[in-house]
Amino acid sequence: MNRPLRHVIAVLLACFTILFVQLNRVQVYDAAALQENSANTRTIQRDFDRPRGIIATADGVVVAESVETPQGIFDRQRIYPQGELYSHTVGYTSFTFGADGVERTYNDALIGRTAAQELTELTEILEGRNPTGNVVLTLRHDLQSLARERLGQREGSVVALDPRSGAVYAMWSYPSYDPSGLATNEGTIANEAWTELVEAEGNPLRPRAYRDREFPGSTFKLVTAAAALESGVASMEQPVFEPTDAYVPPLTERALTNFGGGTCGGNLTELIVASCNTGFGRLAAELVGPGPMIDQAERFGFNQAAPIDLPNPVTSVFPTDYGSLVSNPSDLIPAGVYDNTPALAQAAIGQFDVQASPLQMALVAAAISNGGAVPTPHVVDRVEDSQTLGTVTDVSPGRWTNAMSDRNAQALATAMVETVERGTATSVAVPGVVVGAKTGTAQLGTDPPRSHAWIVVFAGRPDGPPEIAIAVLVEGQEGSADQTGGGTAGPIARSLLEQFFQ
Amino acid sequence: MRARTVELGLLVLATLVTAVGFVTVTTSQQSEVASDVTIDLQGEVGGFLAVVVLLLLGTHVVIRMVTPLADGLLFASAALLNGLGYVMISRLDEGLADSQSAWTFFGLGAFCVALFVLEDPRKLERYRYSLAMLGVGLLLLPLVPGLGAEINGARIWLRVGAFSIQPGEFAKIVLAAFLAGYLVDKRELLTLTGRRIGPLHVPAVRHFGPLVLAWGVALMVMTAQRDLGSSLLFFTLFLVMIYVATSRAAYVFLGMFMFSIGAVVAWRTFGHVQRRVDIWLDPFADAKGSGFQIAEAAFALADGGVTGTGLGQGTPKKIPYAATDMIFAAFGEELGLLGATAILVTFMFFVASGFRVATNARSPFEKLLAAGLTSLLGFQAFIIIGGILRVLPLTGVTLPFVSYGGSSLISNYIILAILVRISHNSVVQAAEEQEVNARDVFGLGVSQETKARWKAVGPRGGF
Repeated sequence: MNRPLRHVIAVLLACFTILFVQLNRVQVYDAAALQENSANTRTIQRDFDRPRGIIATADGVVVAESVETPQGIFDRQRIYPQGELYSHTVGYTSFTFGADGVERTYNDALIGRTAAQELTELTEILEGRNPTGNVVLTLRHDLQSLARERLGQREGSVVALDPRSGAVYAMWSYPSYDPSGLATNEGTIANEAWTELVEAEGNPLRPRAYRDREFPGSTFKLVTAAAALESGVASMEQPVFEPTDAYVPPLTERALTNFGGGTCGGNLTELIVASCNTGFGRLAAELVGPGPMIDQAERFGFNQAAPIDLPNPVTSVFPTDYGSLVSNPSDLIPAGVYDNTPALAQAAIGQFDVQASPLQMALVAAAISNGGAVPTPHVVDRVEDSQTLGTVTDVSPGRWTNAMSDRNAQALATAMVETVERGTATSVAVPGVVVGAKTGTAQLGTDPPRSHAWIVVFAGRPDGPPEIAIAVLVEGQEGSADQTGGGTAGPIARSLLEQFFQ
Repeated sequence: MRARTVELGLLVLATLVTAVGFVTVTTSQQSEVASDVTIDLQGEVGGFLAVVVLLLLGTHVVIRMVTPLADGLLFASAALLNGLGYVMISRLDEGLADSQSAWTFFGLGAFCVALFVLEDPRKLERYRYSLAMLGVGLLLLPLVPGLGAEINGARIWLRVGAFSIQPGEFAKIVLAAFLAGYLVDKRELLTLTGRRIGPLHVPAVRHFGPLVLAWGVALMVMTAQRDLGSSLLFFTLFLVMIYVATSRAAYVFLGMFMFSIGAVVAWRTFGHVQRRVDIWLDPFADAKGSGFQIAEAAFALADGGVTGTGLGQGTPKKIPYAATDMIFAAFGEELGLLGATAILVTFMFFVASGFRVATNARSPFEKLLAAGLTSLLGFQAFIIIGGILRVLPLTGVTLPFVSYGGSSLISNYIILAILVRISHNSVVQAAEEQEVNARDVFGLGVSQETKARWKAVGPRGGF
């Protein structure tokens, strides 16, 4: 019986050889693909167990850090010492709910897994170090805290950034939320915190500053003015519009009026200083026309998501469909008349279907002050090695788009400075600083009338480059006068300017 | 080198490996909680070491006294597998580890008792039909209302007080002994009668019938209990033993043909069989649902890579049934390809030793029994590891000596005892025969009666 026995031995040996080959396949050959499998939660779990770098503001205030948890399913837990102040920028990292904000976009850097970090990792492991990345924000704690304090318990957003680099100095929206509850390792507590936040009034989880869009109101007149300048149909001096209290666009009987039924007119500078609805409506509808308006809005960044280093930024919208040509361009109406020319007149003053995020409007002000170049907005300055504190990655994304020529940008900027000196935006004037601004009040069509109060601002030292651009939006304010923008949003912007140029 | 010296050396090695593993696991668990418990730790590790050394050395001494001429690799490789398994179980679940240490104690006890009781395994041959009935009876026990219990969808458990035992684990040994006895009795009839159909030799139904009947009943019972792994294992055992007994490949082909038909019918009839196959073909189609177990095992193995995450550093608790059926995946994760291969190699050592025992066995019954029991453990390891690695559809059986489980551990140690006993006895018998033949100095040939008389006088008896 020994001969068949040898056959059985051979078969079993073959079986174990198959096992060995397959073991190699699973553990070595297929390992990478298995680790990438979407159902594989081990990578996430390891990320949670691994040390994670600190997130700090430009002036060194710790915003997020990891602490070891002796109990619980993970070795570490994320804490957010500043609570709600930075949550819309920094986000959270939660096993149950994933991650948002910088915690998400810079996850690899925080756990030391970017290509640059892994390159040095091998030697560092030999030295017994476990390098992670510390993320340094561009945000400044003084400006961020001030934004929260000045906006108070009003729904809205404050965005301040460097017009040249796009580095965000402050980005605050109310209401906000404390991410600590979501980041806890206790699943039930995290669930409760999440449910509470989802059901809370005003949706505190949503960062309004870059993920929400509203009527920009009269602040959008800057884009209309830029379109007029860039398409060559107007200069700051010519043409001069007859002062009027109503403008009736072609193909409609409904007149466009000025806030409070006022009368205004004049050249482009005067239209801006007085925020003249009738003048801008006519300028866009009859002189500029749909094509140049759409083109100009998109050169400022409308109709595309802002390339900020945060998840899911909203796309600001400028409508692109104005129907077909009804009557050809004439001497009287050089732009020609389209089916929806009345809508274009509305869009020109930031009503109709125009919607912009506060971040987008800050970028409009930044571009005008910055010779027409729209910078790429970003909230992270650099990633540092957590132990050597040497810079691993320097975030300097450069220019996003070019909105207008340097000459036209300077002309428009001058008109904004005049608006602060003698127009609707006197509330943001700061002694010793050159400030340009444009206010806006977007009517929400409610009864009693409510409106969004806007202001977009840039500022710099005399004869110096622009140093800060700001957009403030206070939502759903009572009343509809154009002073609402200057009176409500203006003082918030001024406080930031005073702090910045202190 | 003497077999016992080899065994002792390997046992020391196995103890060291187990102890190092235990210290690693314990320290990694302690450091998670607090750092000022080193004294506790020393006590715990010291106590553990003492128990391991005492148990293994004690058993070794028993082997030295009762079966000193037995193979040295068998017990040593089983001890290593048992020790590694305990380390992993204590890393996964401390509560289970406590029971497993108790089961190990009982297993080694059963081993020693079996060594004493089965002085001559050939005597089992006489009771082959009683063994067949006992085996089927053991298999049927869990189906008796009030006695049996269903755990994880398989009705193979027996509740006795606080314990759950799987009588099927013991039925396997008993049925292997029945098959060995029956086949030795009938193998000439099975080989020589019947007729040829083409290249195949088909035996007469008269001799073949009882075998098919016993096999059919056992298979049906196991299928009714939804214990697919045991069915597959028992079927393999049947084929191996009949092939070793008769040398007829026709039986293997016939068996495989019948198995294919049975498999297709089962696949068409039973939803749970169909599900198993679907999961086997693509576990990632529903990786969070039905394929969860295999998918998690694959992810664990992928995490382990070549060198593993290190004991206590991975997350093997994510794998369902990590301490029982899926324990090989836990090893793959924390000890990597290298550690998992070491376990495969240890099993190959064990299987090779078992087959050497079969090869050297003097009586056909012992030869067949040793071959059957060795294949039982070898194929059981193949079925569960192959299931985890997706070589086969996953069916729940334990990894012998490694997985958590009392019935399985005790029955495996009984199998080990039988192999050790056969190994010792065959050396003794060979020596006796040599001595008897040596007395026939003139090479005239000695009649069986004379040989028996010489034997009765004893090896040292003179003319």
